[in-house]
Amino acid sequence: MSAGFRAVQWNRAKLVYDAILVAGVTLYIAFFIAIGRWWLSPPDDPARWEDLGIRAFGTCAFLMLTIILSIGPLARLDRRFLSLLYNRRHFGVLTFLVAAVHGWLNIDWFLSRGKGPDLISILANLPNYGSVAHFPYDTLGIVVLLVLFLLAATSHDFWLAFLVPRLWKALHMAVYVAYAVLVMHVALGVMQSRHSPLIPLLLGAAAAIVTVLHLIAGWRERAIDRGTGTSRDGWIVVGAPSSIPDGAARIVAARGGERIAVFRDGDRFGALTNLCAHQNGPLGEGRIIDGCVTCPWHGYQYRLEDGCAPPPFTEKLATHRVRIAAGMVEVDPTPLPPGTPVPLAHEASAKVVPLPP
Amino acid sequence: MILVEALAVYALIGVAVAPAFVIFGIARVMPEASLTSGARLMLLPGAAALWPLILTRWLEAGGRR
Repeated sequence: MSAGFRAVQWNRAKLVYDAILVAGVTLYIAFFIAIGRWWLSPPDDPARWEDLGIRAFGTCAFLMLTIILSIGPLARLDRRFLSLLYNRRHFGVLTFLVAAVHGWLNIDWFLSRGKGPDLISILANLPNYGSVAHFPYDTLGIVVLLVLFLLAATSHDFWLAFLVPRLWKALHMAVYVAYAVLVMHVALGVMQSRHSPLIPLLLGAAAAIVTVLHLIAGWRERAIDRGTGTSRDGWIVVGAPSSIPDGAARIVAARGGERIAVFRDGDRFGALTNLCAHQNGPLGEGRIIDGCVTCPWHGYQYRLEDGCAPPPFTEKLATHRVRIAAGMVEVDPTPLPPGTPVPLAHEASAKVVPLPP
Repeated sequence: MILVEALAVYALIGVAVAPAFVIFGIARVMPEASLTSGARLMLLPGAAALWPLILTRWLEAGGRR
C-alpha cells in the first residue's frame, strides 16, 4: 500500500494470473498462425507468414482490450468476476506489449521491402483523411498504440500517488477512447482490404458486448440509487439488519449521488465511503477480511470503526454514523472527515445471513 | 510530417528528463516516498511520457524550498 513502492507487487495470486495471461496470449498466437498456415496456402510464402503474424498480434490485442473493458461491468454484475479485476493492470500492460509487437511487425513489413518512405507518405497524405475509402487507418493504430503506451507507462502505483487518484482515473479513462479508435482502425482496415462479412460481424459483436455490459451495469447502479428511502431526520434507511450479509455491505446513495457502503461484521454495523482511497474502487463490493474492510480491486484494507488503513499504511476514508432505529439500519448521509472514529451500531439479535459463495 | 517531428522532439526531451527525475527529482517532489531501484526503473517510461507535468512539479517543489 502506501508505505513504499516496489517494481512489481507480485503475490501468489498475481503470479498465477500473469502466468495464465501469458499462456493465453502464447496459445492464441500459436493457434492463429497454425490455423492461418493451414487455411492460407502456400505456407512457404514469407509475405504470408508476416501477414499472419501481424494479424495474430493485432486480433489478440483487440480481443484483450475487449476483455479488459468487459471485466469492470461483469464484476459489478457478478462477484465471481472480481478475481479477473484484481490484476487488471498487468492485463493492460500485456495488451500494450502485444499491440506494440503488432505495430512493430507492420513497420517492419514496410522497412524490409524498402518502403519506409511509402509509409510516411501514407500517413502524411492529408487529402485521404477526408475519404472513408482511403483513410490512412494506420494513423488510428498509432494513436491507439500511443494511448496504450501512456496507460501502461503510468500504471504503477507511484503514478497514482503522483497524479492523485482523480486525475489518474481520468487519464486511464482514455482506454475507452483507445477502444473506440481501435474499432475504427480495424473497421477501416477491413473495409479497404477485404469484403468478407465475418470480421465486421465479429468487430460489431465485440463492441456491442462491451457497450451492453456497461449499460446493464449502469442501469443496475441507478436502480440502487433510486431505491433508498430516508427517515424523518434525513438519515438513509438501509434495511433490516438481516438484509446485510455478514462480512459484506449494502451500498446506498446519498442525495448528491455519493455512494456509502454499510458493512456488517457479525452484530456490528458501520459505514464508509464506497470509494477506496487507492483507485476509487467500489469498497462496498468487497468483504471484511481479518477484521478490515477489503477493497475487491487491489486488496487495500481499512478499519470499519475509523476508516483508517492498519499500520504502517496511512490511507484514510470518510466515515458515516450508523444507527439501528425501529429495527432498521440507518446511515447518516453526511460524511465525517477521513479517519474520524465512529461508534459502531450493535444489534445483538440481528440474524446472521451468510455471504453467498 | 511536422507532427511526427514534434512527437520525436517531445520523446527526446522525455528520454532526457526521465532518468534525472527518477534519480534526483522524486526525492524533491515526493520526499515521503521510498522506492526500490526496480521501481525507479519501472517509472522511466511514464516519466518520459509525462515530462512537462514532471518538470512543472519539480520546479514548484524546488521553489518551495
